[in-house]
Amino acid sequence: MAKLRKYLVVTRISLQNVIAYRSSALGGLLFYSLFIFVFFNLWRAIYKGGEVTGYSLTQMIWYLCITELVVFGCRSGVYNQMNDDVKSGSIAYQLNRPYHYVMFQFFNALGNMVFNLVIYGILAIILGLIMAGPIPGFSFASLPFALISVFLGIIINFFFMITLGLTAFRLEENFAFYLIYQKLVFMLGMFIPVEFLPKWLQSIALYLPFSYVAWAPARLVVAFSWDLFWQVIPVQLVWALVSILMSLGMYSYGVKGIQAHGG
Amino acid sequence: MHKHVVRAMNVFRLIGLYFKVNLASALEYRASFLLQAFGMALNNCSFVFFWYIAFSQIGGRIGGYDFNDVMFIWALCSSAFGASHILFANMNSITRIIVSGELDTFLLQPKDVLVSLLCSKTSLTAWGDFLYGFILMALTHGGDAQAWSMFLLGIVIGGLLMTAISVTAHTMTFYLGDASLIGSMALEFVINFCIYPEGIYRGVVRVLMLSVIPASFIVHIPLKLARHFSPGLLLLLLTVSAAYCCFAYVFFYRGLKRYESGNLIIARM
Repeated sequence: MAKLRKYLVVTRISLQNVIAYRSSALGGLLFYSLFIFVFFNLWRAIYKGGEVTGYSLTQMIWYLCITELVVFGCRSGVYNQMNDDVKSGSIAYQLNRPYHYVMFQFFNALGNMVFNLVIYGILAIILGLIMAGPIPGFSFASLPFALISVFLGIIINFFFMITLGLTAFRLEENFAFYLIYQKLVFMLGMFIPVEFLPKWLQSIALYLPFSYVAWAPARLVVAFSWDLFWQVIPVQLVWALVSILMSLGMYSYGVKGIQAHGG
Repeated sequence: MHKHVVRAMNVFRLIGLYFKVNLASALEYRASFLLQAFGMALNNCSFVFFWYIAFSQIGGRIGGYDFNDVMFIWALCSSAFGASHILFANMNSITRIIVSGELDTFLLQPKDVLVSLLCSKTSLTAWGDFLYGFILMALTHGGDAQAWSMFLLGIVIGGLLMTAISVTAHTMTFYLGDASLIGSMALEFVINFCIYPEGIYRGVVRVLMLSVIPASFIVHIPLKLARHFSPGLLLLLLTVSAAYCCFAYVFFYRGLKRYESGNLIIARM
């Protein structure tokens, strides 16, 4: 409990910081609005051309609001932070501090993510209502269960980002891997619902972690069903555990290779 | 007239020299250079997948564009962005350079301040963007000479317009004190209107795309010319683009008059 308390202090301080510098979130809010506006226009044009299976236009706009919310809410800069710490060598100064480096980064980013989720969440609701109106058949009773999926999606994404950032321990240039991961998340859920993919790709995507970052939470918000809930939550839990273990494993593996030569 | 031609030739020579030095510097780190360029090209490929799925869902056209039209605007936008960032990557740092006082270094150089400022840095990932456009064009347009000629002309026009947008936004720093937010967002904002069919937008947005946000001049008008060539439209494209670039150039030098040196002493390596 004492261990957890010190990490919660880290979260509290990072939350205070992000609230103090809240004006820096303005750019992100503008871009979030821009993306939703562009995609609203795009999907409206696509739906004009014909019916799209599985989602009404209203559901599609809300789907995008939620997937963008998860991705914008996750934006903590942890990949760049870890990359810089490792490449500049400043990670060496953090090894002898009384915390676990990976856990410190998680709880430090948590404050930022909580702030982001609140402000982007409010904006998502406003934009969704203006552009698409209420979600048909939406029930507030199912929202807490959908939010569990949102939380797990953020955990999966966050710890995979940490793992990718920590590959800098062993690779000279790891930016390409970051781009590939990011685009897999975009294409297997964030921009396109899994139901739109060709059947052969759907069956592959449902075994991979990328769709569980954005697709699963957004689908549960716009069209909640207990069948889907029990189908995606266990898989999200497994991928969350895998991503945490991978990040801790990558950290232990990387730290063994550090050579410090004075300061 | 002769004086202006000589001056223009000097500017092109200066850009060429900066390009050679920057390329030689990038090639010193070959593995990193190739990996970053390849990563960016792969990154862009994912959007082809998005459009393939979107068109396969409904078939036909989206916002008046078919699949090949969308690939043309993507290829052109990507290569124009790549070209502008290979030659003028420092456009993204103008605000930081002004605010930190590093602009003094450029003011002391015997060449055009804006050109020196823009050219003194290159971007490795921009090569991926640049080459990606050519690959996409080759795959979707094969030997279509009209499309290729508009694509090549569009790279020059689009690259200059993108640079002009960035310069204009960053120049606000001379007037506002710190325009880093506007500077970092302006180009990305415009690009968002370049990579989707023009027809998905209506009314005011369409007017904005032909004025404040010159997205139509970067990709959509070149596409129209590639499909149905019209000398009048080409003349309009060239005139407006030249006017936009001249405005950015003059706006920068007007702003520069407000710059006050902080007497910062730095060494440029």
